[in-house]
Amino acid sequence: MQAAGSSFKSRAGAALADATLKSAIDRTAGNAETKRAAAVGEFPQFDEARKLGRRIKDHVIVHLEHYLIEFERNALRSGAKVHWARTSEEASRIVVEICRSAGAKRVTRSKSMLGEEIGLPHALEAAGIERVETDLAEHIVQLAGETPSHIVWPAMHKTREQVASLFNEKHASPPASESIPDLVHSARQDLRQKFLTADVGISGANFLIADTGAVCTVTNEGNAELTTTPPRIHIVTAGIEKLVPSIDHAFALLRLLVRSATGGDFTQYTTFHCGPKRPGDADGPEEFHIVLVDNGRTRMLAEGLAAMLRCIRCGACMNHCVVYRQIGGHAYGATYPGPMGSVLTPAIDGLANSRDLPNACTLNGKCAEVCPVEIPLPTLLRGWRDRSWKEGLEPLTVRTGIGIWAYFARHPFFYRLATAVAVHWMRLFRKGGWIAWMPLAGGWTQHRDFPAPQRATFIAAYKAMRKGAPNDNGT
Amino acid sequence: MTTAREQILQAVRDASGRGEHTADSVEQILRESEMLLDGIDICRPALRLIDIVDSFMARVSGPKVGASIDRIASLSQLPTAVARYLAANAKPAAITLQPTSPLLGLDWVAAGVTPVRDRDDGVVVGLARWGIAETGSIVVHSAPDMPILHNFLCSTHIVAVPTQRILRHLEDYAEAARIAGDPAPRNACLITGASGTTDIEGSLVKGAHGPRELCVILVDGVVQV
Ligand code: SF4
Repeated sequence: MQAAGSSFKSRAGAALADATLKSAIDRTAGNAETKRAAAVGEFPQFDEARKLGRRIKDHVIVHLEHYLIEFERNALRSGAKVHWARTSEEASRIVVEICRSAGAKRVTRSKSMLGEEIGLPHALEAAGIERVETDLAEHIVQLAGETPSHIVWPAMHKTREQVASLFNEKHASPPASESIPDLVHSARQDLRQKFLTADVGISGANFLIADTGAVCTVTNEGNAELTTTPPRIHIVTAGIEKLVPSIDHAFALLRLLVRSATGGDFTQYTTFHCGPKRPGDADGPEEFHIVLVDNGRTRMLAEGLAAMLRCIRCGACMNHCVVYRQIGGHAYGATYPGPMGSVLTPAIDGLANSRDLPNACTLNGKCAEVCPVEIPLPTLLRGWRDRSWKEGLEPLTVRTGIGIWAYFARHPFFYRLATAVAVHWMRLFRKGGWIAWMPLAGGWTQHRDFPAPQRATFIAAYKAMRKGAPNDNGT
Repeated sequence: MTTAREQILQAVRDASGRGEHTADSVEQILRESEMLLDGIDICRPALRLIDIVDSFMARVSGPKVGASIDRIASLSQLPTAVARYLAANAKPAAITLQPTSPLLGLDWVAAGVTPVRDRDDGVVVGLARWGIAETGSIVVHSAPDMPILHNFLCSTHIVAVPTQRILRHLEDYAEAARIAGDPAPRNACLITGASGTTDIEGSLVKGAHGPRELCVILVDGVVQV
């Protein structure tokens, strides 16, 4: 978990030095990567489906006002109460007030990244309301007093051994062993009674269905339905970009979401919730509230980040990100980690507070390659870098360094001279083709060796080749 | 003072550079949204088998859904099929029935199965409205005779589904629900396997919060749902 006030660099440094974290990430993200590849391999229509997914989201974003109004009208007709929140504080306040006016003592919560984004866990605690996270991973994270490190697997950073010791300490009936089935059983027992005695159930929404006013949740555990059915009140918090025209459009996106997130074809439980309990219904909440949250989304729309509103929160970009796989989610220091988080966080928290994130990217393009709604993540990240430079947010060291480099780039003679000197200097430290240590390069060599350069610079080798002389490789 | 609603809608309008919506523009948006789905067939998986019932059965019992499947000639055979499943899986022959007349009217005692009230962590037997071959899902709608919690609090979930109500694709369910006049019940649950989790190290465990196992029984012949 991130230390308050620490920098991205120090958090990333600490994460890189944590071998347990690395193996925890590899176990889950590696699994997810393999399963996604298999699921996409079995779905030859994936490319066409992806194009459709993108077109559906783009259509909604272009006509967002229409869909918001239509959704609201249909939700009201179903008996739901619709609330609008401009900011995270406003959204949390609305939820807390609904809980308070109902005299709620205990609320259950089904995993929602938007809930994390608006700081709902904290707001509920501050209001003295007991919060029970019901998604297994969120339950682990809550018991550990941490924050999620992944948007699909919030406890990805924990090994089974760590979960076992946590459950041993916190569960009334501790797990029988460290085996994963025993750990799951222990959580099932711990949470069962809490589901049935909550006053309010809070969920997010994977999709908001405009033509019916319904809200779609997907889980494999079934915790969304157990969270939202027994309590008297169900509150949904959802970003305004979650709209789709109809259930048919939701299905087209669900085919992409599930395969990209977990490598399954469809989640075990896909539920559409539409309004409160109806006359004669055997169960269900008496009140159904939907909080529609902006929190920076309309600004994204206005400032050239509309493509990011296509995101369906599948997590594939982080599972395939070479940086995320090394440092995990907490190092990003924000609700949303990985490539999508590095685009979203500056929009939500402000670029001045998060300018390191768009820079923590190799621009290898893997995230855009796997994104099921074709979000050009590297382009959006470059956009933030550009803006950070233009707004003067880059520190003096970076500006000076780039200034020096620009000088050399504009003066080829000095550039060649400098690179020739650098090549000779670097070769002094080589051993078997690699550099394990070199002054001023500790940031790199602390974690991996650096390939030793060949004897001549590229330009020198090129010139030699043009003259027909053999180059450094003897070819 | 403008409300949050007005401010958000204004911000959306400003960002899109559009004026007020007219009836024509709304009509146009609707047409565009329908056109998006025109070529849906090339964007969804083809069924592996020609027959949709065979496809559904293969899907339900395949590794992705991992449920048991059975098929009976008529609803009156359901108690025997349930008794057979429970015996084969060493489960006690006590079940909680979904309180719906087609199930309540069956002779359970003759098959050696006792209906009980307690539904927590026991065996629940229900009747689904539809099955979907593409995903191997069964669909239930909340109603006076369908408590949603029934599907989630049990340990063993047995669901009968009429063979006639097996649909090809997810979109066919949406259409069938519209035709049935029930396009947006309070809860429409598409259930595709037992409750599972991969939250610890990505490894799959069944029985996270809800059912540990799911058994789907196809019922041929006429069934009133
Ligand atoms: S940016 Fe794309 S890949 Fe990443 S979470 Fe969003 S939809 Fe998934």
